[in-house]
Amino acid sequence: MEPDVSIESGCIIRIAVLPIGSIPQVQLRDYVSMLVRHNKVELSAISSFYTEHQKSPFANQPWETGGLRFKFMVGGSPASPWEDFQSNRKILAVIGLCHCPSSPDLDVVADQFATACKRYSSALVERCFAFCPGDSQLEDGGKKGNNVVLFPPADRQTQEFHLQTMMQDIAASLLMEFEKWVLRAESAGTIVKTPLDSQASLSSEEVIKAKKRRLGRAQKTIGDYCLLAGSPVDANAHYSTALELARLTGDFFWYAGAMEGSVCALLIDRMGQKDPALEEEVRYRYSSVILHYRKPFMQDNAQRVSTLSFELEATLKLARFLCRRELAKEVVELLMAAADGAKSLIDASDRLILYVEIARLFGALGYQRKAAFFSRQVAQLYLQQDNSLAAISAMQVLAMTTKAYRVQSRAISSQSPNKEIGSTHADAGKMHLQSVVSLFESQWSTLQMVVLREILMSSIRAGDPLAAWSAAARLLRSYYPLITPAGQSGLASALRNSAERLPSGTRCADPALPFVRLHSFPLHPSEMDIVKRNPGKEEWWVGSAPPGPFIYTPFSKGEPNNSNKQELIWIVGEPVQVLVELANPCGFDLMVDSIYLSVHSGNFDAFPISVSLPPSSSKVISLSGIPTSVGSVTIPGCTVHCFGVITEHLFRDVDNLLLGAAQGLVLSDPFRCCGSPKLRNVSVPNISVVSPLPLLLSHVIGSDCAAILYEGEIRDVWISLANAGSVPVEQAHISLSGKNQDSVISVECEALSSALPLKPGAEVMIPVTVKAWQLGLADPDNAAGKNISGNAGRMSKDGSSPMLVIHYAGPLEPPGNSAMNGYVVPPGRRLVVPLHICVQQGLSFVKARLLSMEIPAHVSENLPKPVYLENGSMEEATVPDTKTESLVKINPYRGSWGLRLLELELSNPTDVVFDISVSVQLESAKDEDSSTFVDHDAADFGYPKTRIDRDYSSRVLIPLDHFKLPILDGSFFAKDSQTDDVTTSRSSSFTEKSTKAELNTSIKNLISRIKVRWQSGRNSSGELNIKDGIQAALQTSVMDILLPDPLTFGFRLAKNDTTQVDLPGESNIQLKSPGSKGSILAHDMIPMEVLVCNNTREMIKMRLSIACRDVAGENCIEGNKATVLWAGILSGICVEVPPLQESKHCFSLYFLVPGEYTLVAAAVIDDANDILKARAKADSPDEPIFCRGPPFHVRVIGST
Amino acid sequence: MASTACFIIVSRNDNPIYEAEVGSAVKKEEAAHQHQFILHAALDIVQDIAWNTNAMFLKAVDRFNDLVVSVYVTAGHTRFMLLHDSRNDDGIKSFFQEVHELYIKILFNPLYLPGSRIMSSQFDTKVRALARKYL
Repeated sequence: MEPDVSIESGCIIRIAVLPIGSIPQVQLRDYVSMLVRHNKVELSAISSFYTEHQKSPFANQPWETGGLRFKFMVGGSPASPWEDFQSNRKILAVIGLCHCPSSPDLDVVADQFATACKRYSSALVERCFAFCPGDSQLEDGGKKGNNVVLFPPADRQTQEFHLQTMMQDIAASLLMEFEKWVLRAESAGTIVKTPLDSQASLSSEEVIKAKKRRLGRAQKTIGDYCLLAGSPVDANAHYSTALELARLTGDFFWYAGAMEGSVCALLIDRMGQKDPALEEEVRYRYSSVILHYRKPFMQDNAQRVSTLSFELEATLKLARFLCRRELAKEVVELLMAAADGAKSLIDASDRLILYVEIARLFGALGYQRKAAFFSRQVAQLYLQQDNSLAAISAMQVLAMTTKAYRVQSRAISSQSPNKEIGSTHADAGKMHLQSVVSLFESQWSTLQMVVLREILMSSIRAGDPLAAWSAAARLLRSYYPLITPAGQSGLASALRNSAERLPSGTRCADPALPFVRLHSFPLHPSEMDIVKRNPGKEEWWVGSAPPGPFIYTPFSKGEPNNSNKQELIWIVGEPVQVLVELANPCGFDLMVDSIYLSVHSGNFDAFPISVSLPPSSSKVISLSGIPTSVGSVTIPGCTVHCFGVITEHLFRDVDNLLLGAAQGLVLSDPFRCCGSPKLRNVSVPNISVVSPLPLLLSHVIGSDCAAILYEGEIRDVWISLANAGSVPVEQAHISLSGKNQDSVISVECEALSSALPLKPGAEVMIPVTVKAWQLGLADPDNAAGKNISGNAGRMSKDGSSPMLVIHYAGPLEPPGNSAMNGYVVPPGRRLVVPLHICVQQGLSFVKARLLSMEIPAHVSENLPKPVYLENGSMEEATVPDTKTESLVKINPYRGSWGLRLLELELSNPTDVVFDISVSVQLESAKDEDSSTFVDHDAADFGYPKTRIDRDYSSRVLIPLDHFKLPILDGSFFAKDSQTDDVTTSRSSSFTEKSTKAELNTSIKNLISRIKVRWQSGRNSSGELNIKDGIQAALQTSVMDILLPDPLTFGFRLAKNDTTQVDLPGESNIQLKSPGSKGSILAHDMIPMEVLVCNNTREMIKMRLSIACRDVAGENCIEGNKATVLWAGILSGICVEVPPLQESKHCFSLYFLVPGEYTLVAAAVIDDANDILKARAKADSPDEPIFCRGPPFHVRVIGST
Repeated sequence: MASTACFIIVSRNDNPIYEAEVGSAVKKEEAAHQHQFILHAALDIVQDIAWNTNAMFLKAVDRFNDLVVSVYVTAGHTRFMLLHDSRNDDGIKSFFQEVHELYIKILFNPLYLPGSRIMSSQFDTKVRALARKYL
């Protein structure tokens, strides 16, 4: 059988093209390519070379339209035993090709050519074309006879023209030879033989029969020559005769041959026409051809020579003629019949050719899978031949099938415009299930594995290591779940063996292992955070970063923010990291020699690393690199150097694979079978590289560990900021964020702003004052308060520490490049400096209580001296004699009534000692009419520090005697009284509220003036936050603390004339007996005065009475055992005191018995107004308002 | 029962979603591959024939050597392909019809994604039983 047969092949002249001498491969190919262009020579073109020696037997030659066709058999071909039967199988001409520079001696060339031509006895024309002859060769070229034709060196066009002329000459010669042959055959007859005949027994009957047949066969052969000569009409005439004769003699084989020839003649005659009638005719005649070819086969079953190949060839010829989509069914029938014949073919190469042809026809029909099937059959036949050339052919044939079996090498598939699945689908995020399915079309894994294995085998045999590597890689990567561990190891060693034969650094389009997928893009570390800069705003960072600690804010929801296409900014010169996950699902140790990010944009330097993956394992590795220039970076995948070959692994492929695995469409998920957790689909964000930015680095001076502070402790922290970038910082702003922001008391922003611009390498220090916050009850640190002190060095939890957020940025414009259009402002950065504070439980406040006590005034020698102060208001500064006196700010000699003390109970659960100092800030005496005792700085009075040892608790007393208002004013009760007056007031509830609010304000005001400071050790000090506790304690009795009594009473001796004005304090009564050493003698008339002071702004009328009691509390003025005599009025004294004035009432006492006495003044106020009633908390308006002064001690000394 | 029979269900995306060697002959891996190759190649012919007929059962559409491919195409263009060496058209038709019913039951399963591999062992058992019955 012959390849590439068609109905028209009956009219094609075969010319052997033989290289003569040594020709370089390139030159030969070049010459052949020039030659094969002349596969058809028009008859009209050869008329000039043609001379009609005799009358041409081709009477009906179409000189205008016809032509001769050639088929160039490069390298020649062996003579076929069937060439007498089909003349077109003969080699009718020989063309030698000679490259003169490599074959200098033309004689030798001529000899060699002559020798070569001897093999082709059927050749009618012989020519040797010698290209590029030298001058000497040209000179003696003439005498070499006709056979060697020299092509003088010229440009290609001229040479081509020259060659065309030579071909026309050859065609004319052939035509003349054909004429000669036909004339001879017609006259003398010819003997044609086929292998079929030689087998026939030579009985006499047979000899006679053969003689009869000879005529028909001669006619058929003449017809063949007519066809070759390009004269179909003549050929048809001869074929008709031949058909007649063959039918008569029962020579079916030749009958079929003649029929074939007639069809060919018909087609050549009607060249270019394709009408259905012609098609029908061809089909009809060819089916009869096939039938007749089959006949001798069936008839002479015993014959060893089979005519089956002719039958099959005829079938293929018809199929090729009909090969159109519309007639597919018919063609398929023909081809299937031909394929059925294959098993009867004896010669393997015949079968090979048959399958090749069938595959080609199926391919032409568009039946790719059928074509692939027969191609694979071809490949198997090739593989049965045990030589490397056959293996190469097998490999090439199999490579053609890969498209139909969808196991293409990526090198091929990327060339063809393949549908780009994946990138669009994967980006869509959620894709329709059907489209997922369509991603994995035609996954015939069994077939694919077989094909790949065959490619691997053939390429190993063919000695093509790259193809072997590629096939093994595809096999291992796609079908590892179907391959046993031993098989996997075998493939791995196949990969390694192939790589050994490849030069190092070979790249292959098909990735092998490992599977690489994108894991994540780690965020910038907090000190390298990048913030987009809004150049229009003063606060350029606003709106570019999510405010607050929340990753998600509902307010940013509305923004058209495509979350899976986030932007990433990389900076020139700053290393970046990308996490990828590698998986080795196979059963052998995988050594990845190097892996690095593959970036095609050329502005990224990737750093390779090497990884070793144990069997069935996955690993997340971090790949790093440095962006080198501004622009955008896309990362399609990783470049992997593994098994000796460099491959690119695209993330998209693995994503598609995982998608398919999730739907059960692919065999296995390589990551899941390695035990890696399921990962959401990470898409590669848009990465843009920007020019260098400044980079601030911070550290806390002292230690970077957490500062351990007790609750309320105040400490200064120094933070040093250094610019580690290559660009100066030109803008910077400090703000606070995070929890416990109010614990940062002050930040010296000026320190930073004055240091701007901060040059690269420069450093600046910022002092920050921090006050430790209270530990909340919910705070777990509170419960584990003891534990914290145990491991003091540990960092505090970031959650509770406040953070300094520093937004900073470089210059707005690049240096030397001003006002460029479209210039994008480089982004700024954000540095978050967490103030690591570890708060320990310090002093704890247990409770606060309000205590009342009274200390009656008494007399002693040490009398306080009045001091007149500059502002005119009289003050009395007590000069403490003893320390104990100053503990409580009361002068015991002045006495106190209704003294209120705030008792704070504090406990110390820590293991250090705390010193507590209490200070009370008093209002400075700005008020003109203030008559209050003013202590400028109570702390100066030196409350001694209270020391609380560890695990002890202690009580601290705070006197509240300095807070009384000077005047009992209506304003305080204004709202109340109004409510009383206007009972119908609808705003009563409102006023009540406002009263309450006022009350609270005054309490707060009071509380804020009390400060409890502590100190522990040398350098920790702080303040106790006890506001809530105090407030709770004071809530009920604030009125008593703040408001003065409406009346104050005072007693004094009026013994001598020096009027010593004694200004009674709120409840202080000053009793003075100057000159008498402060004692009162018994048995003496003692003149006394009672002073009544009106603290209100209205006149008060009252009835005053004075009582004197002894130690036992018995009234010693009245009664049976009165021990005191008196002069003047002691009860029912009507007194009117003008507002803010005092009035005096004089009386005298005569003590009979020495001892301690108590004087008490009391008054019933007449016509009390609302204010007084309110102050006295009177229930009913008719109730008398009773005022009682503080007790007053009198020590009476017996006269001795 | 046929000595060689290979049954395959091919989804509309040309994926094999079910494969079974149901012949009584001794199973060889090499042969199984060859069977699949033949069936795969027959898809080209099925593709043409399926649109030219109303019948679901396309009878024998292709052959290679002595093996014949019979095909049944469902309305959803899922193809049941049987490679066999026996000539028992009626039996094959019944086989296909009953397998079609089984396949429809598989499709009823809401968890089954049409076009993905049929993993149900019950389906497999039933198909093999049908093959023993009809082929």
